Amino acid sequence: MSTRKFSIFRYNPNTPEVKPFMQEYTIEEPPGMTIFVALNKIREELDPTLMFDFVCRAAICGSCAMVINGKPRLACKTLTGDLKGTVTLMPLPVFKLIGDLSVDTGTWFRHLSVKTKSWIHSSKEFDPNAIEDRMDNETALEIYEAERCIECGCCIAGCVTANIREDFLGAAGINRVARFMVDPRDERSKKEYFEVIGSDEGAFGCMGLMACDDNCPMQLPLQMQLSFVRRKMVSFGLSAK
Amino acid sequence: MSNYTTIVSDVLVVGAGLAGERAAIEAASQGLDVIILSLVPPRRSHSTAAQGGCQASLGNCAMGSGDNTDVHFADTVKGSDWGCDQEVARLFVETAPKAVRQMSMWGVPWNRVVAGKKVLPDGREAEDPKEKEGLITARDFGGTAKWRTCYTSDGAGHTLQYAVDSVVIKLGITVHDRTEAISLIHDGENCLGVVARCLKTGELRIYLAKSTVIATGGYGRLYGASTNAVINEGNGMAIALNTGIVPLGNMEAVQFHPTGMVPVWILITEGARGDGGYLLDKNHHRFMPDYEPKKKELASRDVVSRRMIQHIRKGHGVDSPYGPHLWLDIRHLGAKHINTNLREIANICKNFNGIDPVNALIPVRPTQHYSMGGVRTNIDGYVYGLKGLFAVGEAACWDLHGFNRLGGNSLAETIVSGWIVGKKVAEYTLGAPELNHSYGLIQGFAKVQQERINNLIAGKQGKENVYSLRKEMEQTLMDYVGIFRNGPDLQKAVDNLRELYHRSLKIGLISNGKGANPELSTCLRMPGMLRLALCISYGALTRTESRGSHAREDFPKRDDVNWLKRTLAYWKEGSDLPDLQYEPVKITELPPGDRGYGEASASSAEGKKQN
Amino acid sequence: MLVQKILTRNPKAELYYDLVELFTGIALVGFLWTHMVFVATILLGSDLFNTLSKSLDDYYLSYVGIPIIVLIFLMHILSAGRRLPTRYQEQKIIWRHAKMLKGTDTWVWVFQTITGAAIFALASIHMFVVLTGWPITATTSAGRIEAFWWFYLVLLLLGEYHAGFGIYRQFVKWGWFPRKPLGYVSKVITVIILTLGLAALWVFLQLGGA
Repeated sequence: MSTRKFSIFRYNPNTPEVKPFMQEYTIEEPPGMTIFVALNKIREELDPTLMFDFVCRAAICGSCAMVINGKPRLACKTLTGDLKGTVTLMPLPVFKLIGDLSVDTGTWFRHLSVKTKSWIHSSKEFDPNAIEDRMDNETALEIYEAERCIECGCCIAGCVTANIREDFLGAAGINRVARFMVDPRDERSKKEYFEVIGSDEGAFGCMGLMACDDNCPMQLPLQMQLSFVRRKMVSFGLSAK
Repeated sequence: MSNYTTIVSDVLVVGAGLAGERAAIEAASQGLDVIILSLVPPRRSHSTAAQGGCQASLGNCAMGSGDNTDVHFADTVKGSDWGCDQEVARLFVETAPKAVRQMSMWGVPWNRVVAGKKVLPDGREAEDPKEKEGLITARDFGGTAKWRTCYTSDGAGHTLQYAVDSVVIKLGITVHDRTEAISLIHDGENCLGVVARCLKTGELRIYLAKSTVIATGGYGRLYGASTNAVINEGNGMAIALNTGIVPLGNMEAVQFHPTGMVPVWILITEGARGDGGYLLDKNHHRFMPDYEPKKKELASRDVVSRRMIQHIRKGHGVDSPYGPHLWLDIRHLGAKHINTNLREIANICKNFNGIDPVNALIPVRPTQHYSMGGVRTNIDGYVYGLKGLFAVGEAACWDLHGFNRLGGNSLAETIVSGWIVGKKVAEYTLGAPELNHSYGLIQGFAKVQQERINNLIAGKQGKENVYSLRKEMEQTLMDYVGIFRNGPDLQKAVDNLRELYHRSLKIGLISNGKGANPELSTCLRMPGMLRLALCISYGALTRTESRGSHAREDFPKRDDVNWLKRTLAYWKEGSDLPDLQYEPVKITELPPGDRGYGEASASSAEGKKQN
Repeated sequence: MLVQKILTRNPKAELYYDLVELFTGIALVGFLWTHMVFVATILLGSDLFNTLSKSLDDYYLSYVGIPIIVLIFLMHILSAGRRLPTRYQEQKIIWRHAKMLKGTDTWVWVFQTITGAAIFALASIHMFVVLTGWPITATTSAGRIEAFWWFYLVLLLLGEYHAGFGIYRQFVKWGWFPRKPLGYVSKVITVIILTLGLAALWVFLQLGGA
């Protein structure tokens, strides 16, 4: 069986006296091996201290994003066979490092939800005995298209603006707002949306490099979502008093 | 003063999946101070992986017309093989439509009825009337008389979790993610909270609350091949069992999903068959109608799984390096349907198997999927044995599912029981006395855990390797406690697991165990996981009948005279086997009878000959 | 800086900045490409070049156009320049990011800021030299280019690079066109203009040498 070399970023903030370094491991490579399989193998057979995150291992939950040979990707669905030479693994930038390949995306994304007020703003009271409000199926599908984001952080890690500006909401944030803007159940006014995202922290911070669009593992149409929100923000901004 | 950071709240919810968050919302909206602990950020919970949908008898779509709560009730009870609590099932089916509508208000983009005539994959025609247009629609799922499973394309769990979590955020409920509860704190009568370990720093903390809710999901990862997320290790059940006072119900009831994809065991949703997919054997013959002429691929999951294994045993499986498998065929549904309604399936097939289901067959085999059993509660979610302790969702044995859960009933259970139990939690907490606890008692629980950690790091009890123990446990369950079970195999499983359990008490760390060391996390869980494994296999060995997913080759018939009862497994301190007790199953409306599908059913002529 | 501070208090400031960047950018690209086409008339002979230059003067287009372009140029620097990483820390992040992540996009932006800053300097010199040597004729231009051909070569490359990618990014940001064909079209135009520019440079060099 062929073998594969991995070069993995190591640093534990709990032991700051040990400076960050790259550590190499070589393991056997069966056909169809994913980075998920490889990292577990390394942990179980070579180095039980290695930290990384997986949950669903099926590209649904967004836990395992990392920089793989220079690209932010989901480790669970990356086959080592598709990569050339040594596999270099780094933690996602922007997010707070927990240790080795593990970063704190949870705190970042909760903050994003709070900042963009990502919930349905409705004045209606729920009546358990009433039938549901109707919605066009096309609208439901349109909402789901934006809602498919799994908050993995690949778009944020690859984004230059997000790397410089701590307060930039990135493609995930702008896409999240787009999701509520197309939802007829959300009663927010143009002005309210503009306040949330009509600034350099939001729609106008984007510099159009579109690394987000290239890196999104869910293949969300981020370029279209970002420009949709940008155009909406211009019209909201110019029309509002 | 305390050595440990101590955090006090009114309600402590362990687990931030759908059931946990839904219960937390109910308590928080009554003004209670709620903290949620979670292994991972809430939106990474395994609930998000539920693709197919959520059963609720709205009866909006043409194929669901005439549906009502009575039909849903009958389907659920039959599905459970009369193992479920019928009072719970009744409460559930009555609440499900309301819960689904509430989720619609909270933001779930349920797919809607589109009026007009359509031809179904099997050639039948259906017409959705204009007056139903725009209402929540449904798809077909196994074991149901009507199309009842509400869905959002194939991301129902994802959209539900995001909607529920958005309300958690809106209400400002505190979530401590990457925090693992490793022990309950109790005084033998009342639950006082938990000892938790921070998975960012390794720090031990004490969480105290008037009520504690276990919502940690299932234990799928005890099995080597499971569709479950890697975090589903049954932690909540294990810490409840460890008290010695709290019983686990029906742990031997383990669901195998018919279509786990070979060899990565990622779930291919039941929606694939619900939308018209077929199962084929190595000759590309559609074999399910031979066994189940009525329900075909859409009999309940336990039945389809058994039929598949039966068919493989007859030599009709497709050979592969990973053992024989069968094919799932959805090619005839067409590219458009596959790439919208079943897009996640298409992605999973492409990413993990390099195949496109639009023109290729998907290799599948029944795979561990769900735990019907769990922390035994009453209809209000109160855990047996300890006051102030609740359980909800897959972690609980509320007992909606009995010995087999219907597809789409678990997602529905999370939002229904989360709602109902959440209310009961709030009610209890509002009436509960102020936290009055002994300092020494609480510190004692934390100290026990600290000592375990110290011993593991020092290798004081031994030098057993946790990863090899774990592999042996996984393999034992796979080999001997699978879809078809028998006495000798189960005895082997119990013997093996007992030995493994003793070894698990002698684990020593290889690494230094500093900070949020991942090896230490696994070591801390290992004995608890083995106790669960023993509850499963010993419960299965003792139950000498076949019911739902529990299929004994040596006792192939359901035995309502002796076994119409629920297993309760206790773990007495110092023991290496659970203490099994039994309680009657509540039958209120539907007396035990014929399921209408499966081996015992009169309508399944072929099946009769087989067994 | 004062102007910026006053504007920042306005909640819509960033919207206006963004629009100013867009419109000034498009105007400058338009100007640059027209300018290069005009310069390239030298390929058809000195007479045509001189006539064109003179007629622009005669109809006062130069006298109105140049100040407007200068104004637009300054506005563009002000609005687009707000994105420049000012602190040393930020610059370090950019470099680290560009080096760690493969793919061209971060580099595109790093070059965009560098070329932008360089154009600011070089184009100012160019304008100063041209305006002090008014009017523009084939002979004076050829003289300048003979002496400073390397200067013009650099300015041409920088200008075209900055304009090409700038216009591409603006169109992408506003979503008027899908990315892939847009990238292709902007590259083709850039190559055409660059070829014209290089040819003109060559002809001027020949003229100057004659």
